[in-house]
Amino acid sequence: MSKALIVTVGAVLSAAAISVEAQQPDFTGVYEGYRAPQGQGQGRAGGPGAGRAALPLTEEGKRRVAEYGVLSGPTRLNGATFCASYGVPAMMGLPGSYPIEFIQKPDQLTIIFEVNNETRRIYIGDRQLPAEQRLPSRTGYSAGHWEGNTLVVKTTDLLDGLDQGANAYSEQATIDERFSFEDVNGTKVLSYQATITDPIYYTEPIRFERRYQPYEGFVIPYACADELWYELLELRREQLKAGKPVEAHMSDVYKVREERE
Amino acid sequence: MAAKLKTFVAAACASALALCAAAAMAHHSAAQFDFGQRVTIEGTVKEFNVTNPHTWATVELTDDKRGTRDAQYEGHSASHFYRAGYTRDMVKVGDKIAILIAPRRDGEDGGFIQAFTVNGKTVGFGGLSPETGKRTDSASE
Repeated sequence: MSKALIVTVGAVLSAAAISVEAQQPDFTGVYEGYRAPQGQGQGRAGGPGAGRAALPLTEEGKRRVAEYGVLSGPTRLNGATFCASYGVPAMMGLPGSYPIEFIQKPDQLTIIFEVNNETRRIYIGDRQLPAEQRLPSRTGYSAGHWEGNTLVVKTTDLLDGLDQGANAYSEQATIDERFSFEDVNGTKVLSYQATITDPIYYTEPIRFERRYQPYEGFVIPYACADELWYELLELRREQLKAGKPVEAHMSDVYKVREERE
Repeated sequence: MAAKLKTFVAAACASALALCAAAAMAHHSAAQFDFGQRVTIEGTVKEFNVTNPHTWATVELTDDKRGTRDAQYEGHSASHFYRAGYTRDMVKVGDKIAILIAPRRDGEDGGFIQAFTVNGKTVGFGGLSPETGKRTDSASE
């Protein structure tokens, strides 16, 4: 093969690669929940609280949901109150209506939810962490690839998601996710779909959908656990000022918080 | 001041009810507050901590029925406060404040902050744009 031909073939392949890359959308930006224009409904097919009664729970799923009801108690104890992260897909539902930021590179989509600065990383393409090296977490491990203009993601290696609202799942769950732009009423909307498959909780996969629209404002730093640390220092400062032994513990911070509730 | 405060929040929340409710529900077990009720309290600020996951304030109240005492109020997160128009040091110890609250169900002092007016400025939580200060068009999905 002549040198000229190799160069030509290389150039064509490069152009093809660029062409494929160019047609893939860039999700980079800050978003908020999609707001349907007045009178046009919410444009939502499902999501947190979409109806626990309709969920295809297995007997074990029913038992675990009932158990969590007892664990969370009459005050409906909420992990976010204790600065716990929401996890996937709960964070994708934008609980509390906080914004979410997407930062896209060719080999990674990074998603940051304002609350607790909760971050997830979707690795795109061939560079993936070997399964045995993945540390389970509430956001799981996410591997993505492109199918046309849609980023298709498989999220695994999750921790027990018993507290995930209407989308409770076990550590055996797999979440298949799809991200794409769509035109809704003339607005460029980022569409998110998640399908949770979990043999422990569900007899069939359950779906979770969300739409996002661009948000013009800023993401605000969200310190939560930091506040606990400051409160501990404040308790110790009070002891120091009072000439008492400086010995306050984090349990004392929680005691103050509980008395406040 | 109280009547004006109530009107302001009614307008802010009317078209964004879901947002008001969702924001309140996100971090809080709302069970102890009656979000169907609105009561305005007036008093003197003793503490006002705009923090995450929620804000809390101590206000000295005085009335004929219960005399003078401290009452504690919870509020939205620091993020929601700043988006709603709160600015640093807007509320200082010793300020006179009027707070529109969702009261406690048990009838005791305390409640969840829906809006407040201090030094002639009012902040309410109803999906207000931080950029324009105007309310948004419809409820969040």
